[in-house]
Amino acid sequence: MIRMKNFIKPILVLTVLLMTFIVSCADQAGGGSCSGTAAQGWSGFTAYKQVLCFGSMEGKVIAFDPSARTDNKTFPAENEWLYVIKAATPGSTCGAMCAPSSSTSSMGIYSTPVAAGDLVYVGTYTGKIYALNANRGVVRWVYPREGSETVGAIVGSIITDGQTIYFGSSNSKLYALDAPTGDLKWEYQTSNKIWTTPAISDGIIYAGNYGGNVYALSTESGKVLWELKIPSAVASPIEVSGDAVYFGTFDRNLYALEKMTGKEKWKFVGGNWFWAEPIVREGTIYAACLDKNLYAIDAGTGTELWKFSADSPIVSTPVLSDKHLFAICDKGILYKLDAATGNMISSIPLGYTVNSPLYAEGEIVYAYARDHNVYAVDTAKGVVSWTFSSKIK
Amino acid sequence: MIDIWNTIILQPMLNGLIALSELLDKDFGLAIIILTIAVRIVLLPLTFKQTQSTKAMQSLQPKLQELQKKYARNQQKLQQEMMKLYKEAGINPLGCMWPLIIQFPIWIALYQSIIQALAATPENLLSLAQNLYAWDLVGQAIPLNENFLGLKLSQPDPTMILAILVGVTMWVQQKMVTPPATDPRQQQMSSMTTLMMPMMFAFFTLSFPSGLALYWVVSNIIGIIIQYFVGGGWGYFKFPSLRPQPQAPAGQQDTKALKEGTNKK
Repeated sequence: MIRMKNFIKPILVLTVLLMTFIVSCADQAGGGSCSGTAAQGWSGFTAYKQVLCFGSMEGKVIAFDPSARTDNKTFPAENEWLYVIKAATPGSTCGAMCAPSSSTSSMGIYSTPVAAGDLVYVGTYTGKIYALNANRGVVRWVYPREGSETVGAIVGSIITDGQTIYFGSSNSKLYALDAPTGDLKWEYQTSNKIWTTPAISDGIIYAGNYGGNVYALSTESGKVLWELKIPSAVASPIEVSGDAVYFGTFDRNLYALEKMTGKEKWKFVGGNWFWAEPIVREGTIYAACLDKNLYAIDAGTGTELWKFSADSPIVSTPVLSDKHLFAICDKGILYKLDAATGNMISSIPLGYTVNSPLYAEGEIVYAYARDHNVYAVDTAKGVVSWTFSSKIK
Repeated sequence: MIDIWNTIILQPMLNGLIALSELLDKDFGLAIIILTIAVRIVLLPLTFKQTQSTKAMQSLQPKLQELQKKYARNQQKLQQEMMKLYKEAGINPLGCMWPLIIQFPIWIALYQSIIQALAATPENLLSLAQNLYAWDLVGQAIPLNENFLGLKLSQPDPTMILAILVGVTMWVQQKMVTPPATDPRQQQMSSMTTLMMPMMFAFFTLSFPSGLALYWVVSNIIGIIIQYFVGGGWGYFKFPSLRPQPQAPAGQQDTKALKEGTNKK
């Protein structure tokens, strides 16, 4: 009995801690670690020539030709390629537990690639910018130049005006690099990390950080034109349209600021975060919210025009075609809505969570789901035309 | 089941911690410390009961040893007599474990809260949205500052300082309440058990976020303080000394419970 008494306590503690490990470490969709869900990424698509390019959850940049996929050709077909991003040194990006566990493993890519000229640019969670030849996927340059040097995890996407690429990073800096060469033009140190995509318009770059600061800087010099402190951090990519800057914050607001002064025009309160990028067309803002609603808001006044309730939170940035608005909830149900009224025309269940921004060409919508497949959905017919696995080698 | 857990335990703790950190100038480490103190205060009645129960169990050790010798070949009778002894003394042998058992869900919820609140990865940050209250205080606090005294609270401490602190404080706490056994075999086993738990927690500290280890260290220190005042000094814990200890005075304190038991004989 005395022996039992001595061992009950440690055995119980061990059991419960093991349970904690099992529940909290292992039961993370898509593989986790003891410091939370692994960084899987949620890159969207960029289109150039006849290919679509995206960053995969396995740390690859893949360019595929939708017509080759429709014909079910062996990958890589003509114009198709993939490039494997080198794994980071453990601990170099966001701590020992969220860096790759071995030199052969990679991390997901959050940044949507962007094409300019004959190059495709992508930022990685391992803290590097890669400029790849758009036709062959061969590296033209890498920034920072040194192998082990990083700029901190890059979560937002790169933007470009053709001559310069701009991006924000976890090291709280906003960078401007010469697009053809990757040489640093300027950098600006903000007060906190930048995990969202900046926006450029008329020679001004707009960026928000996790310190609740919004900045407007000259794209030429990196000089601050105005800076605004808001009560909460910026949660969504920034969108510029007309005379205003739009973005969501962690206190559940969608802000509209005057783009030349930073003065608040209006703010719209949602039921949760506006995580996805707001999209603007013809005076209407389409803003997906984690409260399961997709709001159409008057860009001038900030008043609600209509809202559509999805089956679960909408993480992914919706996409517009001529008359239709496509959105997908995190349960993987793709909705085709009338952009003018918000009425649902059809819904197509994909069955897997989609966090990546959608892309549309006419009535074909492309979604990169958490099952590592790209889905090409023919929304006119309401069917999945084909899938393409990013696990391809 | 997960929804019930999230609603009743995880969300109040998560939102409470985040709101507290916002009130404390975005200091999440300080929020964890204050939460730890609050948890220990809430558990104080149980801790007192545990301390008393432990003391009473210790005082019964000589009698239990006698029974073991007496009924060494009759385990069933031994069990009956032991239970009778416990009943007469008004002791529940498992009573001393309640504070520990009650803390388990707190540990789990705290672990989940730290992981979610500090959001080491963008996915963590995204999943946080579904567990937050619509409080301005909470929305304004996100994302949290994970730095505290040179630690990254969402990551394990790479320096091992926290692991050592967790191990040492837990060991001291256990030593304060573990009486030395008269039987060498039991003494060996007791020493092993006293060492095993702290080593196990120290080992876990190497893999768990520093925020959880911070909770363990602070909780252990509070436990030591409570034990010091409620149990009457350092109990069975002996400070290592360079000078040779005189046998009699050292033994006086260490065998206090045994003597009490012997006198009762």
